[in-house]
Amino acid sequence: AKSAKSISSPVPDAWYPTLAVFMLTIGLVVTASFFIYEATSLRKNRCLAKELTTGAVASVFLGFGSLFLLLASGVYV
Amino acid sequence: MGIRFDLFFLSIAVLCAPCLSDLVLSKVDRRIDLTSQIARFTSTLKVENIGSDPVSEVLLPFPDHQAKNLAYLAATTNEGKGKTKGFTTTLPVEVVHPKGMPPALTWYSVSLPKGLGQGESLTLDVLAVFTHALRPFPEKIPQDQPQRVAFQDSAYYLSPYVVKVQLLSVKLPPGTKLESHTKLEKTEVSGSEIKYGPYENLPSFSYSPIVVHFENNQPFAVAQELVREIEISHWGNVQVTEHYNLIHGGSQLMGEFSRLEYQARPQIRGASAFRHLVAKLPPRAHSVYYRDEIGNISTSHLWGDSRKTQLEIEPRYPMFGGWKTAFTIGYGLPLKDFLFQSEGKRILNISFGSPIKDLVIDCLIVKVVLPEGSKDVSGSVPFPVKQWHETKFSHLDMVGRPVVVLEKMNVVQEHNQQFQVYYKFNNLSLLREPLMLISGFFFLFIACIVYMHADLTISKSSASYMAKLQWDEVQTAIQQVQRIINRCLTIHDKLEATLRDLSRTGDMQACKAARKAADGLLKELSKELKPLLAFLHSCPQAAQILPKVEELVAKERELQEKLMVKHSTVVDSYEKKSGGREIENRIASIQQKLTALRQEVEDLLEVIDEI
Repeated sequence: AKSAKSISSPVPDAWYPTLAVFMLTIGLVVTASFFIYEATSLRKNRCLAKELTTGAVASVFLGFGSLFLLLASGVYV
Repeated sequence: MGIRFDLFFLSIAVLCAPCLSDLVLSKVDRRIDLTSQIARFTSTLKVENIGSDPVSEVLLPFPDHQAKNLAYLAATTNEGKGKTKGFTTTLPVEVVHPKGMPPALTWYSVSLPKGLGQGESLTLDVLAVFTHALRPFPEKIPQDQPQRVAFQDSAYYLSPYVVKVQLLSVKLPPGTKLESHTKLEKTEVSGSEIKYGPYENLPSFSYSPIVVHFENNQPFAVAQELVREIEISHWGNVQVTEHYNLIHGGSQLMGEFSRLEYQARPQIRGASAFRHLVAKLPPRAHSVYYRDEIGNISTSHLWGDSRKTQLEIEPRYPMFGGWKTAFTIGYGLPLKDFLFQSEGKRILNISFGSPIKDLVIDCLIVKVVLPEGSKDVSGSVPFPVKQWHETKFSHLDMVGRPVVVLEKMNVVQEHNQQFQVYYKFNNLSLLREPLMLISGFFFLFIACIVYMHADLTISKSSASYMAKLQWDEVQTAIQQVQRIINRCLTIHDKLEATLRDLSRTGDMQACKAARKAADGLLKELSKELKPLLAFLHSCPQAAQILPKVEELVAKERELQEKLMVKHSTVVDSYEKKSGGREIENRIASIQQKLTALRQEVEDLLEVIDEI
């Protein structure tokens, strides 16, 4: 038979729960900082670039965290 | 009965049948296995070429009434002479329609790899599997009767070639009663086997019908429809879900079912029923479930080792003749055992049939669901099936997942071979799912930002709106004042740090330079402070907070002055090279005031913060 290499997931299976917890924690911390910034800054002092970058970083971590959470709980999306 | 009519027709046709004179079957050894609900015919044919031309195919006929139950036909040949078992090769078998043959026959042709030359002989092993060949007779039985089935076939091997010697042996389930069988010449019954033969030198197309009526209490599990769904996820899992619609295909139950009698003596009152089904799953199967419309069925056992996982299931009730049940079995398998990569394509290699042992499936549908973004999907199965494509929408899907659907009728355990599905998949498409989640979350954040930036007041000139705007401005000003004061405080701290450095290193120049820089910065900051204070004065709303702010600024200025005095004293003392104790005495009082003032400034800052 031709040399057939077996394919598996790019991230090892055993890491899924750990990755889910860490990414979600970091994502939630960045989300918290985003909302604190929104609540305490005044209209004049707000900086749109800072808001967007915080939101982007938070959504990346939350996105990956929720993906690994789904995979770790058995919903192989 | 239609079968009798066909046999009559055949016997007439025998008289006017052509005879293929090229090949001769010198020895035919037939073994019919009737130990389960499936009839397996194993025929060992020794084919000899007595003609002059090489022959490349051997024809196998089956009567039509038998051929419609034919589920699986395979021909193999053993290379190697005598008793040495050589390499077995499977030969291709096709349906053919030769001309000038008797009617009501279905023909199959076995292609020989290298033609059989003149005078050569070859041993061919033909396996034919028939479903529904055992007819329940009587068709309806009460609960306490065992199941009896009738089997019909021919004692002579039906062939277009002359057969020199032939034997037939019919094997029945061990220990069961043989009701009746057709008695021809040279028939003998030994234990649970009936032997017909050996018969010699029979013409081609000879046919002699025999009927065997015997007891068969093996489980007659027939799945009227089985849908197997195999879902691939590149994150490491193959999920197989099987939906079964089972019926007991044996003698139907007549009259009532008495649970009491069944439980008291199950062997006698319910011999024809079956309770358990055994499924052999691949090794490392996980998350196995067994449920139906009502919910989970807990009567099941699972144990596994490194080569297989065995699942034994017990439906909610014992299956008697004619009774149906429907359930779903699902399990997950690790991806690396089944998905391979070769030459730019991905190959899924998985078994086709059902894992349940000895199950006859009337209609099997296998659906292979591939992840989104798979292209050039094609399936390759070792036997003919009907194939088409569909789309399925599942978790986190935008365009749907491509599905290959394979359908086959009349499936038996011999069809449980591996089949392949080829497709192309770009690894970057794997990021589609996290990107969708990320964009979802990002949309939430954008919505939040837009909400905070948007001004949703209806009336832009009402008194309360103006008051709110003014208060916002006051707050901004106060925040800036706070920021400036904090910066002043950091400059003070830096100066004190330089003083401490001085006491360590004695570097005068650095100290003086730091002092100059600090002075400059403080001047700038006080300049910035002036317009803010002016604004706060002009604002009526800031009336409450203004005195505190002014107090803060005043105190800070005092602090500044005292610190400068201290700094100058220390520097002078160093220039005069007086001792450490003297310096401390001189600045003692100043130091006290400094610390007190510092404390007050910080308290005021906190108070303003709270407002």
